[in-house]
Amino acid sequence: MIRIALKMLLSDRAKYGALLFGIAFTSFLVSFAASYFAGMMTQGCALISENPGVNVWVIDPAVRSVDLTIDMPASALGRVRSVPGVSSAVPLTLASTDLRFPDGRFQPVQVIAVDDATLVGMPPLRDRAGLPLLRVTGSVVVDDGGSIGKLLTPVHPKDTWPMEHSGAHSGEEARTRHLRRGDEVLANDLLVRVAGVSDGLPRYPPRPILFTTRSTAFQILPPERHRMTFVLVQAAVGVDANKLAASIEAATGFRARSSKDFSTDTVLWTLAHSEDTGDAVTMLSIAVLVGFGVTGVMMFLFTSENMKYYALFAAMGANMRQSMGMILAQTGLCALLGTGLGLGLCILAGQLFSHAGFPFLLAWFAPLAGVVAVFVVSFAAAGLAAWLLSRMQPASFLEGR
Amino acid sequence: MVHERASAPGDSGAGTPPPARLAIRCQGVTKVYGQGTAAVRALRGVDVDVYLGELLMLEGPSGAGKTTLISIMAGLTQRDGGQCEVLGRDFAQMSPQETTRFRGNNIGFVFQALYLIPSLSATENAAIPLLIAHTRRAQALRQAAARLEDLGFDARMRNALPTELSGGQKQRVAIARAMVHEPRVIVCDEPTSALDGKTGHRVMELLRKVALEENRALVVVTHDERVLGFADRIARMEDGKVRRIDTPTSLSTG
Repeated sequence: MIRIALKMLLSDRAKYGALLFGIAFTSFLVSFAASYFAGMMTQGCALISENPGVNVWVIDPAVRSVDLTIDMPASALGRVRSVPGVSSAVPLTLASTDLRFPDGRFQPVQVIAVDDATLVGMPPLRDRAGLPLLRVTGSVVVDDGGSIGKLLTPVHPKDTWPMEHSGAHSGEEARTRHLRRGDEVLANDLLVRVAGVSDGLPRYPPRPILFTTRSTAFQILPPERHRMTFVLVQAAVGVDANKLAASIEAATGFRARSSKDFSTDTVLWTLAHSEDTGDAVTMLSIAVLVGFGVTGVMMFLFTSENMKYYALFAAMGANMRQSMGMILAQTGLCALLGTGLGLGLCILAGQLFSHAGFPFLLAWFAPLAGVVAVFVVSFAAAGLAAWLLSRMQPASFLEGR
Repeated sequence: MVHERASAPGDSGAGTPPPARLAIRCQGVTKVYGQGTAAVRALRGVDVDVYLGELLMLEGPSGAGKTTLISIMAGLTQRDGGQCEVLGRDFAQMSPQETTRFRGNNIGFVFQALYLIPSLSATENAAIPLLIAHTRRAQALRQAAARLEDLGFDARMRNALPTELSGGQKQRVAIARAMVHEPRVIVCDEPTSALDGKTGHRVMELLRKVALEENRALVVVTHDERVLGFADRIARMEDGKVRRIDTPTSLSTG
């Protein structure tokens, strides 16, 4: 009877195709939404992920996210370095400023100021030759940080500010290109030279980044009492990061988290506090519900359209168990194939999205979410059909009722 | 309990016929659909017997209760009152599971709309009752093919889908499906209504031949006056009652 059920399913190609499409769509939507969300969350931890050599992050006791920070006093560095088990500890500063491009446009950027000596915290540069140049005063490295078209400079000198002869005066857009080594921009009205472009991880939310040394950063940024956001700690060989973090906390009174724990803190904080996350979750939930609706309704319609045949089988002696077996076989096959198609599509779309710089991370739970979603909705629809089946009188179709 | 009667159906009384065994006995059967003012009394006390080896036709206008009666005889619908025994068993005394099992083992159906499954070949359609009864697939298909062969199906026709068959051929598949599991009782709901006169005749000949040769009881609901001659007895139904029972002979002489 299972074979008959599958033949009934497969022979109606239009309905079967629509059913598969619906399920694949749901599976795709759910796993893609989960992956997109995971990607967003991962990008929220980009600074941590970019620094795999850092074992422990030391922060102000109130800090819960890598993105919402308050600076610590400079004395924190020495106190951390004095904790047993610390191999090295270097400062890292986060701040923000405005860049002004040669054509007069401006762009707020995040400043990441790394230790002058070690340059710990710098992502890899597209052109390695630029790295030593960063130590030259007034040098910066720029990074899109997942943003698009925000670090542009005019191609032609005539388009540079004050643009006496530029097309901008006539309302035309000047031709631009991405910043590259050798370009000059104003950072907080201080002329800085681009030493290179880095390949840092995209951020969530996307933002252009200016990497520089702390000494250059202090020239750019307005003076503040404290200018040390993190102390990046490398543990001595054989020292557990979590234990070292606990030791640092105990010894200094600052908050110290292993990289993994700090990432988790950041994700949890983002989930709880970011308005963007709420919006994204709402939109994705609506999309997922639409997918659920489509799949559920199609599965239910397919089964209920076949109800006359189930009535026939019941008249001929098929019991409820056999009929349910047939419905479940049909549902199971659709769910399996549809899920597979949807996941395949999700992986393909993910590749395209990743290449385009959008957040996408196919974490283990994303396909699982897709599978669970499809199976829940498919079997709920099958359950509904089974309920109809249990209430059906085999004579109803014989009597035309 | 199997009752017997002195004369066989269709026998006008010449000689000494062997006693015919009772397949179905309905006495005072009533059935009401709906409730209150919307209640429809489909059957108002039907008395009818059907014997093994007999073809009984139920004839009458629409709404006379013919289909309801065969539904009750086949255990598809529960009666509200009266008695009805099929092969000595009363559906009212059985659990739903027992009823389903009994139906699967003992009753064959030919439905007006045939209900052949479009995606299955003629052989697979005919094999469905065996597959429901957990017969191994290969054996079920062999038996169904043999039954179709008896009904004049060659190999090509046996492998054809219902959409590739004519109306008469489809009807034969439905007949094969009704008989493939060797039921003792076959109920047919207007088996010739969708067929032209000639094909309808052939189908009735076939039904009569293959069903009755194997000592089954055949109950056929029909509106089709042209096929009444194939019956052993004809139960005339009207307003939920059997008004009278005729034989084809009495019809032609009357």
